[in-house]
Amino acid sequence: MKKIGLLFFIVFFGSVGFSQDVTQTFNSTRIVNSHSTEMLGKKMWEYRIEHRFGDFAGTNGGAQTAFGFDNAADIRMAMEYGITDKLMAGIGRSKGIGRPYTSLIDGFLAGRFLTQNKEKKIPISAAIVGTMYYTYMKQVNDLQSVAYFDGKLTRRLAYSSQLVLTRKFTDRISVALMPTYVHRNYVAQDDVNDLFSLGAAINIKINKHMGVILEYFNNFEDDDFRVNATNSLGIGFEFVTNGHNFHINWTNSRGFGELQYIALTQEDWLRGQFRLGFSISRNFKIKK
Amino acid sequence: MYRLLSLFSILFVILLFSFQKGSVEITKFVEVEVDGISLEDLRISLGAEKSAFHMDGFDAEKSKIGLELIKNGKAKRKLFKSCAISSYFVCTDCHNLTREFENPADQDPTDRFAYAQKNNLPFLPASTFWGIYNRRKFYNGDYIKKYGDIITKAKNSLPESIQVCAKYCSSGRYLKNWELEAIMHYFKENELRLRDLNLSDAQKKSIAKLSEMNAEEKKELLKAIDNSYAQGYSAHFLETMPRDDRKYGVGGDSEKGKYIYDKACLHCHLDGRVTFLKLDNDKLSAQMFLKNKTNYTDLSIYQIIRQGTYAMPGRNQYMPRFTKEKMSDQQIEDLMAYLNELAK
Repeated sequence: MKKIGLLFFIVFFGSVGFSQDVTQTFNSTRIVNSHSTEMLGKKMWEYRIEHRFGDFAGTNGGAQTAFGFDNAADIRMAMEYGITDKLMAGIGRSKGIGRPYTSLIDGFLAGRFLTQNKEKKIPISAAIVGTMYYTYMKQVNDLQSVAYFDGKLTRRLAYSSQLVLTRKFTDRISVALMPTYVHRNYVAQDDVNDLFSLGAAINIKINKHMGVILEYFNNFEDDDFRVNATNSLGIGFEFVTNGHNFHINWTNSRGFGELQYIALTQEDWLRGQFRLGFSISRNFKIKK
Repeated sequence: MYRLLSLFSILFVILLFSFQKGSVEITKFVEVEVDGISLEDLRISLGAEKSAFHMDGFDAEKSKIGLELIKNGKAKRKLFKSCAISSYFVCTDCHNLTREFENPADQDPTDRFAYAQKNNLPFLPASTFWGIYNRRKFYNGDYIKKYGDIITKAKNSLPESIQVCAKYCSSGRYLKNWELEAIMHYFKENELRLRDLNLSDAQKKSIAKLSEMNAEEKKELLKAIDNSYAQGYSAHFLETMPRDDRKYGVGGDSEKGKYIYDKACLHCHLDGRVTFLKLDNDKLSAQMFLKNKTNYTDLSIYQIIRQGTYAMPGRNQYMPRFTKEKMSDQQIEDLMAYLNELAK
């Protein structure tokens, strides 16, 4: 037990960096929807504002909604903090996509336990992210609805665990694999509590300040059971300035957090159900 | 009779050896004493006036706290940890703590680079703290252009200079008395000693016989000593090199340039350690600088090294400029030569 504790301490609290550690595999702590292996620096704060508009085309999109600008599929605001150079935590509040959840609060803890290192011949970086979700939406008085919580706190909770494996192949190209597990305490009859999904992403840096990202999550599920579920596919453009990171992306998923973009995506790119989204993050230090 | 002679002989030999041993010890003692003598004490014994911030000695415990403040920006005192002096910088982001020149009187950036490379030291924009206790002038030359009246009191006072650095240069706060005292004790402990100066053997020998010197000889020796180390570091702000004068690395030494990149640029910018601009030994970082090499903007090496940036609300991390004394134009070209290689 002591050894495990010591290992945990060294991995997450040992902020000694090796000169050959590969840096900037991704430019921010997020890829498109998913977490990356990048962590906020020790005692660094990050304020994030994220937004997903409505459907660009299809039944609910098109010119009538200014290609989705009239609608907000989801909005998230979050404060995140670097506990050490390899361990960070955050808390956020999302509007929620309303199918079924609204008023979602999420809290996560992310730690990088392996850093790609040329000298030590460590080929990849690896991080683990644990997130907990809680909805404080008003209970729906429909026994058939997932939002009928029956006054039970546990029904309002969901969890996700994500392993993020990344490798920077060249100065311009990085890839990521994100095996993810989502658990919801309470689901509808035509849904499952536990869901496993494998994500993959590639980041192509155009220059020091701009890059293109492609991210896809494939859910391993019974398509005949979860008939409306689709997989999340996103493409993003990132702009990095000093202290800011600005993402513009198009994705078929409506909501933020693994709970929503993995388990609750039902939109299809081919039906025009993709949307413009953005995220802006601002880093700052309050205290050294 | 023979027995008596033998006894005397033995006693004589023993006495001879014991005297010889004693005389060797005395010689060694003098050498150690002269070499380790504090520069401040020596100057005073030669008739120099005590500085306004003179300290008779240092407290090892306080000096230790001073070092902690210098390296970490805060220190533990009476079971409590102090608040950080600055949220953005610590002293060692800009200052080395060790010798930076073979000859302490030297201020040439080429010699400074050679010494840094030989001893694997960071190549930083500010002067070293080593021997700062013995300096008499601070914020010299063109620093008045940047700080104006803020440095009026600091120009001749080490404690005032420390306060200006803490408050303005590091975008922090004024030090509390105990913090200032601790740092002063660290500086006192690390003051120059005679062995650090490049004095001739004859001069060192004459110091060993100080009591035998007359006033004129002491004055001469004091002058020689004062010329043997930098009492203040010059600071000339240079304008950004005009486009027509830039060689863009042609003829530059890329090996030296790599050292400057690693030990000056990456000292703060590696993975955004001090600032938000993240740099690494990668193609994209080099290409960013090369794309801007003809510009007069912050991303031009020629501009940023000479002008630095300024702290502003919401972004108090800034880059201090490298003065003429801290980086030469040729060293900038060396850096450009390395960036040309890195970008390929």
